Amino acid sequence: MFQNARQASPYARLMRVNWLVPALVCLLAGVGALALSSVAGGSFTPWASRHVMRCAGGLAAMLACALVPLRVWRALAVPAYAGALALLIAVPIIGTEALGAKRWLTAGGFSIQPSEIMKVALVLMLAWSTARVSPAVRTHPLWVVPVLMLIGLPVLLTLRQPDLGTAVLFAGIGLSMMFLAGTPLWIFAAGGAGALAALPFAAARLQDYQRKRIETFLDPGADPLGAGYHITQARIALGNGGAAGQGYLHGTQSQLDFVPEKMTDFIFVVIGEEWGFAGACAVLAVYALLTGVLFVMALTARDTFARLLIAGIAATLAIYVSINIGMVTGLVPVVGVPLPLISYGGTSLVTLMVGLGIALSAGVERASTAD
Amino acid sequence: MSFSRQTGERLERTFTRRSAALMLAQAAVFGGLGMRLYQMQVLEAAETGALAEGNRTRRMLLAPRRGRILDAAGNVLADNAENFRAVLLPRTKLDAGLLRAELKRLAPVLHLSEDEQERLILVAGRYGHERTLVLATGLTFEQVAALEVRSLEFPFVTAQVTSTRAYAVSPRPASMAMAHIIGTVGAAANLGLDDDPVLRLTEMRVGKTGVEAGMEHELRGRAGEAVMEVDARGRTLRQLKQTAPRAGRDVLLSIDSALQSRFVERLAAERGQGAIVALDIATGEVKAMASLPAYDPASLSGPGSEAAWRLLTADNERPLVNRAIAGVYPPGSTFKLVTALAALRAGTIEPKEKIECWGDVTYAGHVFRCWNRKGHKASDLHKALRESCDCYFYEAARRTGIDRIAAMAHELGLGETYKAGIARQQAGLIPTTGWKRLQGRTGWLIGETLLAGIGQGYVLATPLQLAVMTARVASGRAVVPTLIKRSGLEPAAEFAPLGVPDAALGAVRSGMVAVVNEPGGTGQQADLDDPHLTVAGKSGTSQVSRLSAERELKRALAFGARDHAVFVAYAPAAAPRYAVAVLLEHAGGGGAKAAPVARDCLKILFESDRLGARPSAAAPANGDVPAAAAAQPRGPG
Repeated sequence: MFQNARQASPYARLMRVNWLVPALVCLLAGVGALALSSVAGGSFTPWASRHVMRCAGGLAAMLACALVPLRVWRALAVPAYAGALALLIAVPIIGTEALGAKRWLTAGGFSIQPSEIMKVALVLMLAWSTARVSPAVRTHPLWVVPVLMLIGLPVLLTLRQPDLGTAVLFAGIGLSMMFLAGTPLWIFAAGGAGALAALPFAAARLQDYQRKRIETFLDPGADPLGAGYHITQARIALGNGGAAGQGYLHGTQSQLDFVPEKMTDFIFVVIGEEWGFAGACAVLAVYALLTGVLFVMALTARDTFARLLIAGIAATLAIYVSINIGMVTGLVPVVGVPLPLISYGGTSLVTLMVGLGIALSAGVERASTAD
Repeated sequence: MSFSRQTGERLERTFTRRSAALMLAQAAVFGGLGMRLYQMQVLEAAETGALAEGNRTRRMLLAPRRGRILDAAGNVLADNAENFRAVLLPRTKLDAGLLRAELKRLAPVLHLSEDEQERLILVAGRYGHERTLVLATGLTFEQVAALEVRSLEFPFVTAQVTSTRAYAVSPRPASMAMAHIIGTVGAAANLGLDDDPVLRLTEMRVGKTGVEAGMEHELRGRAGEAVMEVDARGRTLRQLKQTAPRAGRDVLLSIDSALQSRFVERLAAERGQGAIVALDIATGEVKAMASLPAYDPASLSGPGSEAAWRLLTADNERPLVNRAIAGVYPPGSTFKLVTALAALRAGTIEPKEKIECWGDVTYAGHVFRCWNRKGHKASDLHKALRESCDCYFYEAARRTGIDRIAAMAHELGLGETYKAGIARQQAGLIPTTGWKRLQGRTGWLIGETLLAGIGQGYVLATPLQLAVMTARVASGRAVVPTLIKRSGLEPAAEFAPLGVPDAALGAVRSGMVAVVNEPGGTGQQADLDDPHLTVAGKSGTSQVSRLSAERELKRALAFGARDHAVFVAYAPAAAPRYAVAVLLEHAGGGGAKAAPVARDCLKILFESDRLGARPSAAAPANGDVPAAAAAQPRGPG
């Protein structure tokens, strides 16, 4: 069985790909293109066209990743993680500063964001390390220590950039995968209690802009034209959408630029205003469907590595969506997380596409067991 | 190994269970997000929808055109002059740097100097988004056209047309004669929350004094509104709708400015300060209202106006005060009409009853003098009025009591202000025992009743009030004065009858006729010497301060302490048509100084009627007016 999969031709692998995933990805990319056209006042250029091109490239990358045998990904887990970690460490030393944070590495006119690579690498690394040890070790309380180190290093490094959103994302991915790997529940309970106790100390270490974001989140009305502007305007635009929406290209708040960051982090507000509650829920449903498909894929995957890999990617997607929509609806602080596959922006799109491709690759192995 | 496999299987089940749990958790989170969206987009939609509308629209109030003020002949006295100006659109979000750049680009078009640019940036910083920032006024058509044509270059600026108040300035004597009546306008001050929001517009002017203030509700009109769509940067994209402002209504005065000018000239001939009021008794219309010194309204607009204001407000002669409505004086003996009517109505005196006068009289240990040191001997009401015997009215006042006198005074219009269409009227003062108690000093003294009975002491009245009193005595009706022309259709018997017996009115009127027409009368100089135009009147000499006999000599030469001369009159006696009140400050005796002025004023009124210069309200249909007054043509002189 195993041999069979390993020797499967690229064509055979392609036939075994779960096509629901690329189909849903295309659907979301299409929604993104429509929303970005609306942001441009009904024009396909400049944003929607680029978005479509990126998505097409991303889709190709996704399928290419799906064709790579899972063992290659397994073998890449440690080098990818180590490399991403090295780059993350390099960022504060040789990184480029933008908007008060060092997140980028520039080399020869080409800039990369190591934290993006880490998103996939972390999932790979956690799946690999968990799959590598025996079940008895995996459930041992002390196993938590190395796993937490694997998660904690990138979290701390991104926090120092500072990039709270990504750090929260890493933590979320890591905790989800620990949960799935079978870590005893009492450890989560103890960890939760510990985190609660540490909260005041963490708050004291927050950057000024981070503290302000959290204060604003707690009371956006206190300074509606200043720090609370984003949240207040998002609330107004969403409310203006109502149940059925103002109609495509007719969202006054979006079209008249009242919605901040409407191409990127707040694009869901544009959708919510123009397509209403109905449209917003439909988009939410597509995300739910996509993660659902991935979770089912994970359940039927062949081995622990594949299962955890797929589930980790699914969790990444779900956390992305939850934080972004929670942010624009004022449920969580504004932390700068894009809406995957819809927001304008290249790096995170590519990362996510590669992640989904790896998940598909893991899914293909399952499909091969059926032969 | 079997142990390991068991653990492995158990772990597989754990993974399945936990995956399901994680999916459930995710479904719960997504469901929560859906509920949040439902709350924001469906439940709170109405509330936030209004906020969204407020976000994208800017409401701009449009100032209404102020109504004009015209005299009775239809001459425009107060008008509006159009003025083009450039303004920064309201609530434009420009910081100082951007504004500076914007002004620099505008400077060639609007001719803004460097200093002016700096001043505008200061003003913008101080008043933020609340006010419309006026960049330049008095734009030429070329400048307005330049702004319109290049509107894409200057998206934050718009040209507006506003109006400023302009007063007829020629001929100058006529404009000065009307200055007090028309009054002044200014920016609204100390606005309350409930005030008309249009008052917050910088170009809005509201009446401050005179008819401008008295008829503010008519003149102002109602604001219009333009609703504009703007983007997040405050740029105007288009006008969504506009409600045109409703212009204020024109106000037609009862006063003919040519007639008014003649009154002012006559008053000016006395070379002093004072006021004259002439009323049409049938309609209550004010035919003339002169007050001197006056001011030139033209000096209060345009360059140098601030200096002119300072000068006028600092002037000791108080030229800005309209003495006819805001000057309060002791009415002196003219008040004896009130005392007489109060006593007759109360039955405390009989018209035929004689009261003796020996030059002074002693009450409660105090000596009260008559103006005639020799005394009037025995006087009935007729003689007492004719010769203005103080002793008679001391006694009448003592018998009647101050409160009954005060009630009669109010009934005759003293102590009151009227809905006459002119602002800043003073009420004067009609004292009562209750009023005295409120002053917190001693109680009412009997001597104070005696002084009040001859119009001295606490009693204060304005010339307008004295004219109203005269008109009410003459007609027996509660004549209400107005500076606004009444429409000609109103019936003559519009005013309600006074609660005074006809017999009492008749006795007082006959006394007033005697003042002018009988030997010994104090106002014989008011006689028009025309058998058809018998004048009835009453003189008054109001003492500026109570002085002891010892100081009387010294005061004789001191102008500021000399008595005011007062005279009230109406004519024709048989069918009263006009009532006149004349007050000359520090001029001396009323009969000697004020009566001739009253006579000339009546002459002017009847002359103008005869010349047909006053075609409208001059001819009431009921035929009460003697032929001579309205119809009979006469040769000149």
